[in-house]
Amino acid sequence: MTGDTVSLSNTTGQWLRKASRTLISLPFAYTAMVILLIVAYFMRPSLLTPMLLLLIARQAAPLGIAVLGQSLCMRVLSLDLSAGGVVVGVSYILTSGLLPYPEPVLMLIAVAFGIAVGLLNAFFITRLRASSVIVTLAVTMVITGVAVAFSQLRSPGDAPEILTELVRFKIGIVPVVLVIWAALLIAVAVFIRKSVFGRYVDAIGANPRAAWVSGIPYVRVVTIVHVMSSLFAVFAGFLLIGFVGVGSMDLGRDLALNSLAAVILGGVTFGSGKGGVLGPTVAALMLTFTFNLLTSLGLGEPAKLMLQGIIIGAAAAAYSVQRKN
Amino acid sequence: MLWWVAQIMVCMSMLELARKSRRTGLSPIVLALPVALFVLLCLSSDTFRSLENLANVNSQITALMIASLGQGIVAISGGIDLSVGSVMSLTSAILVTADPAWGIPLALAMGVCVGLINGFGVTLFRVHPLVMTLATMTFVQGVALLLHPVPGGVVPGYLRTLAVSQVAGMPAAFFWCTAAILLAWFLLTRSPLGPRIYAVGANPVSAGRNGIAVMRLKVACFVLCSLSAVIAGIFLTARVGAGDATMGAPYSLDTVTAMALGGIQLAGGTGSVLGVVAGVITLGLISNGMNLLGVSPFLRAALTGVLLLMAIGLQRREAIGA
Repeated sequence: MTGDTVSLSNTTGQWLRKASRTLISLPFAYTAMVILLIVAYFMRPSLLTPMLLLLIARQAAPLGIAVLGQSLCMRVLSLDLSAGGVVVGVSYILTSGLLPYPEPVLMLIAVAFGIAVGLLNAFFITRLRASSVIVTLAVTMVITGVAVAFSQLRSPGDAPEILTELVRFKIGIVPVVLVIWAALLIAVAVFIRKSVFGRYVDAIGANPRAAWVSGIPYVRVVTIVHVMSSLFAVFAGFLLIGFVGVGSMDLGRDLALNSLAAVILGGVTFGSGKGGVLGPTVAALMLTFTFNLLTSLGLGEPAKLMLQGIIIGAAAAAYSVQRKN
Repeated sequence: MLWWVAQIMVCMSMLELARKSRRTGLSPIVLALPVALFVLLCLSSDTFRSLENLANVNSQITALMIASLGQGIVAISGGIDLSVGSVMSLTSAILVTADPAWGIPLALAMGVCVGLINGFGVTLFRVHPLVMTLATMTFVQGVALLLHPVPGGVVPGYLRTLAVSQVAGMPAAFFWCTAAILLAWFLLTRSPLGPRIYAVGANPVSAGRNGIAVMRLKVACFVLCSLSAVIAGIFLTARVGAGDATMGAPYSLDTVTAMALGGIQLAGGTGSVLGVVAGVITLGLISNGMNLLGVSPFLRAALTGVLLLMAIGLQRREAIGA
């Protein structure tokens, strides 16, 4: 790549070749988004009004926030599939009325719960060196099982008013949810690019053994990444509960799988942060848009699942073939 | 208190790593756990001791047993298959929607296809087995729901007979179990394929240099696993007597739990059929015992999760991460 930048007298052919190479190396999410918008333009033009696009973007926010955590995990060669469990836990804490505290305190408890889940995941993954997928799936099983069992005794009630008001609030025509999402996005992007921590993350992803040998605080970095991922899941849960208005044990069920699909589509694979923070974000928007398009075409849950499966499998396969070349 | 538990688990996992050289992965705990549970349940509950309940336990664990044996083979070869549950669900959907004569061949063909996709994805395209099988799991679940959205339908009569009738006083489930165990045992210890599976799982590079067709073998393991999931699905559908496109969902993680309880290392190369059997019986007894004690089924799922965490936590690997 560095060799190309030397030649100043670019002919058109060289320039074209370079452009096409850049285009191919871009995350699939960008291309897919463009194709999708074209398809929507011909099949369902009504989806493309600014009103609806903003609504879809608002709907994509929880996924987009969860994706930030997932992409960090994948950069350090780990995975976090516990987002769904965290959301169910948060939903139960906030809405069941089991804990007799005011809303802000409940939200703090939910944040603490997220940190605890992240630490638990990290303990099993770094200290006991268990497979992150199995650990986070098992943690989801435990949280969901306990929450559902408790909800038989005391069913979840209304969402806290702070959250329902927050998701309805708009600045001009832009929902405040989108502003929050953008703020988190920029914060994570700057943090990863500018901080020492970000360098550590890259080093671990590039070569875990070399990172370990050269004394990078491996365990601490992976632990922090998992705690952050759980925290993002808590925030995603806040938004989801705000959208729905009542607590539910079904919230966030496909958050984990969707975030995995979005991260892979966005160009972040195990150990490579090539897609940056923006790639997965565009992918989150794209996935949400796709699901809306599918629904508007009258295709339901099965089509959604099949599409998710194809996306995860095909994108992962394509990236590893690309990397091999 | 929690800190001490954590420390003890770290020490135990290091001990486990120290004796990793043994191929079977059987430790006294693995074998003693089901026996101890059995004795405990016998002492604590009259209902448990009844022949009727024991037959019930047997037929409850049969599907898990068949699927876990397949999962075990993949694990020994160094992979993991999360699509087991969805394949069982799709089998169920196929059996009640297809023509009765074609149901089983179609389901088996589907199993071969899913296994091939998993296998080639993992070997040829070098996708991490967890990601690859997660993808097929989601896709196959979608197909199952598309095919058979609402639970119900009629299971062919002959299948029902095969699953629930009694032969010489023994429930049919017993024979399904025995046949599956013998087949897996033969494959892993008596056939030329067995040692190769262990070799590939322990170190694929040196296995390849010693003339083993690593790719072909890994693909074969995934196909075997999917096929065993199909058979487990056939049994489960016949036992329940109706089709359900989400019937297999818990089995993906349950098979992994059973396998980990049975001392099979997810890193590959270590494990045994006896271990799988012990793990499945442990899980089945816990489930049945809690049922008899009247524990909520949701809490039971949570406890399976805790068990999975403990079993997996005791398998210390070299690498950190996925």
